[in-house]
Amino acid sequence: MTEPASSGRIPTPPSARRGYAAQVAREVLARWGARVGLAWIGLLVLVGVFAPFLASSHPLLLVQEGRLSSPALAHLGAADLALLAGFAAAVVVAFARQPWSRRLAVVLAALLLGGGGGALFLSPPDLVIHAQYREAEARGAYDWVLRAPVPYSPKDYLRDRGDTGLQPPLADPAHPHWLGTDENGADVLSRMIHATRIALGIGFVATGIALAIGVVVGGLMGYFSGVVDMIGMRIVEIFEAIPTLFLLLTFVAFFGRNLYMMMVIIGLTSWSGYARYVRAEFLKLRQQDYVQAAVACGLPLRSILFRHMLPNGVAPILVAASFGVASAILAEATLSFLGLGLVDDPSWGQMLNQAVQSSTFNWWMALFPGGAIFLTVFAYNLVGESLRDALDPYLDRKA
Amino acid sequence: MLLQVEDLHTHLASGDRVVRAVEGVSFAIDRGETYCLVGESGSGKSVTALSVIQLLPPGVARHPGGRVRLRCRQGGPGEGMVDLLTLPEADRRRLRGSCMGMIFQEPMTSLNPVFPVGEQIREVLRVHRPDLDAAEAWERTLAALAQVGIPQPAQRAREYPHRLSGGQRQRVMIAMAMVCEPDLLIADEPSTALDVTVQAQILQLMRDLQARNGMAMLFISHDFGVVAQMGHRLGVMRQGRLVEEGPVARVLARPEHPYTRQLIDALPENLVRHRPAAPPRTSGAEEAPLLQLQGLQVHYPVRKGLMRRVVDQVRAVDGVDLEIPRGRIMALVGESGCGKTTLGRAILRLVAPTGGEILFDGHAIGRLPASALRPFRRRMQIIFQDPASSLNPRLTVAAALTEPMAVHGIGADREARLARAAQVLAQVQLPEETLWRYPHEFSGGQRQRIGIARALVLDPEFIVCDEVTSALDVSVQAEVLGILLELTRARGLTLLFITHDIGVVEYLGDVMAVMQDGKVVEQGPVQAVCRTPRHPYTVQLLEAVPRIGGGPLVRA
Repeated sequence: MTEPASSGRIPTPPSARRGYAAQVAREVLARWGARVGLAWIGLLVLVGVFAPFLASSHPLLLVQEGRLSSPALAHLGAADLALLAGFAAAVVVAFARQPWSRRLAVVLAALLLGGGGGALFLSPPDLVIHAQYREAEARGAYDWVLRAPVPYSPKDYLRDRGDTGLQPPLADPAHPHWLGTDENGADVLSRMIHATRIALGIGFVATGIALAIGVVVGGLMGYFSGVVDMIGMRIVEIFEAIPTLFLLLTFVAFFGRNLYMMMVIIGLTSWSGYARYVRAEFLKLRQQDYVQAAVACGLPLRSILFRHMLPNGVAPILVAASFGVASAILAEATLSFLGLGLVDDPSWGQMLNQAVQSSTFNWWMALFPGGAIFLTVFAYNLVGESLRDALDPYLDRKA
Repeated sequence: MLLQVEDLHTHLASGDRVVRAVEGVSFAIDRGETYCLVGESGSGKSVTALSVIQLLPPGVARHPGGRVRLRCRQGGPGEGMVDLLTLPEADRRRLRGSCMGMIFQEPMTSLNPVFPVGEQIREVLRVHRPDLDAAEAWERTLAALAQVGIPQPAQRAREYPHRLSGGQRQRVMIAMAMVCEPDLLIADEPSTALDVTVQAQILQLMRDLQARNGMAMLFISHDFGVVAQMGHRLGVMRQGRLVEEGPVARVLARPEHPYTRQLIDALPENLVRHRPAAPPRTSGAEEAPLLQLQGLQVHYPVRKGLMRRVVDQVRAVDGVDLEIPRGRIMALVGESGCGKTTLGRAILRLVAPTGGEILFDGHAIGRLPASALRPFRRRMQIIFQDPASSLNPRLTVAAALTEPMAVHGIGADREARLARAAQVLAQVQLPEETLWRYPHEFSGGQRQRIGIARALVLDPEFIVCDEVTSALDVSVQAEVLGILLELTRARGLTLLFITHDIGVVEYLGDVMAVMQDGKVVEQGPVQAVCRTPRHPYTVQLLEAVPRIGGGPLVRA
């Protein structure tokens, strides 16, 4: 190096620079389809995260004999805490000027910390008696009570009422159930609110697993081509030949009904599409001069693949992923509808199942969960479509 | 006058913005005359040509003023001059092809790949000469192909465009434009995408056809050498305006407008005078060359059949022996497809050599595994041809410049690396703010300078420059070449400068090598090779180069 070691001044970036991601976000948000879709998904996220405070038999706050207590907080579990922590972290991070990878890492860390901390330190009562607060309130034991907007927990079968069973919406003016009750007497609205968690969770986690595998396998195939590509494509073809639904049925039969198992299986069987997309993009990008320049600079393979190639080929993958989330939600709903979903936990598909199981057709059990599934899948498809349009330079929008 | 363009204005709408592409251009072309429009990219010369033939997209282009009047011998809607801007579209369509023909720049995309070439020419005849029957039209088609020098036209006419070479496709395009014997031929950079020897043939062909048919030609070009050979009169365009006009010889010899002078001075052959001399050898003894190639081969297997057996080899680089002395600039010339780019990439091990050896500073690096190669990666770099694709669009310049430094352990921390990146940017004459921008915010010349900066941050000893100025305008090319030459001398770099432009070779090169079909046919000092070429291919190559003076190749 011939020049002096340092000019003494360190270059600093100006504050307001808009990156590529921000540009794409603006393009996407300019489309009404994306706005509607994202609004619905955002609503679901809010409802899912705050479900214990929106629909719970436990009062949010109460004053008994001069002491303030919160039974709803006392009944929070590890999963609730993890979601709340993750959400709080996401809100904080959204305003921080940090790289995307770091923001994602912070949110994931918050989720894990919340879950782990919750499992260690929270001790929700093992025996949950939903009716106790209602009975105590009826006795007039509380000086002041603040109840959740929907004052029933999803598994509150209203045993204290005695007349449990299917009930259309707003049938009993004394105990209003906005969307009716299911065959066990549980409030449908409450169950739907808590079921958003499963619907969103299975979509994100299963697609996340599929994306991680697909990007790595497809990236390696595209970058190395040749023999690696040939072997990779055969593996992709093998996985494409596996019928996901029947594999799921088999696994449920063998290992019982487990939400996490479902997520993993849906993820493990749906990565092949992403691998194909990534491979095609990487085959194209490999010939680009800037990738060649990165190789010529002696950059490590990890950096070439994930820093120089992936961000340039991520567009079609994102689009495919948003459709993938929708299909994962449908897969879970299908399983639950077939009666192979979770036993006791609320899920939209399982509620649909109840609409046709009993001797009469219970319209409220079909309309509301079915509508929720439809709207959610529709929302993801809308977002996917807008994303595709925003990222596609050939479908230039006429201003 | 055959064509009279009076105060032509063309506005192009892009989104809610209006680009004034052509602003008040006037010129006239007589029968048998060639009028050349010269300018840098974005000067409006192509838009002017497209306005004349009215091929601009109707929703985008508007003509707020001006007239384009054409006198048509035949097939026109009435006698006398017609104004093409106000003519109904149906009449215009009748004029296109019969009264005026057009040749485009890119022969690879201007023929329809799903029709045989003869069929495409016959279709023109069928539309404009309904009086001819099928047999006559086919005869005319073959005659047109024979006229443009296609051997065995009867067979060639039945072939699809992909079977023809670039030069032959351009001949077919000319045949298609000429088959109805138009009065006006518009040629939009017809030889830019071709190799020099092919270009010389095509230009000769166009001159001959013009002499035979007496048609007028509107010839768009950015190359003063081509213009000097083709034109009778010359117009220089800049930002949508005609800044100078006159007979070609007068404008080239005594340009009146400062912009024309600037353009002519920026030609590599005119830059030679200001070239800094190569530093003298440090020692009298012959120093070991920095890079030595011994029988380097890059072969690609051609596989065929069910078992994918190797039936043949494509010999992209076929046994090249080359020595590049330390601190010198080796210019590598050759036509497209001769393997010069593959050779450059093979030296950097971006493509795997299949035979031979690469000696870099005495070390054999031809077969080193990737990990052992990494220290050498720092010492040898590459700069690419296309400024649009050579920078990662998703990374800021700062990221693109500092990441290689971090990998090779240059600079103590991020701040030190940023400071160094800013210094290198200053050396290629870019401001410090460049660091925080994305590549799409820069012009082609600026991106190419960023590409040079990226190669320089690792402080290499050897750089492969792969046609680095081919995509740039002359004046920008002059800047980039100047920066490159200065840095090379200041840092004692060794360059392998791959190019097809002999003018650039003369300006930049110390030694040169000529490649043909994967082999180096001649090498030696630039002066010796250019003045007294020994290999017949070198002679052919040098003779084909269009020059302003038209004289022999001498460096003063």
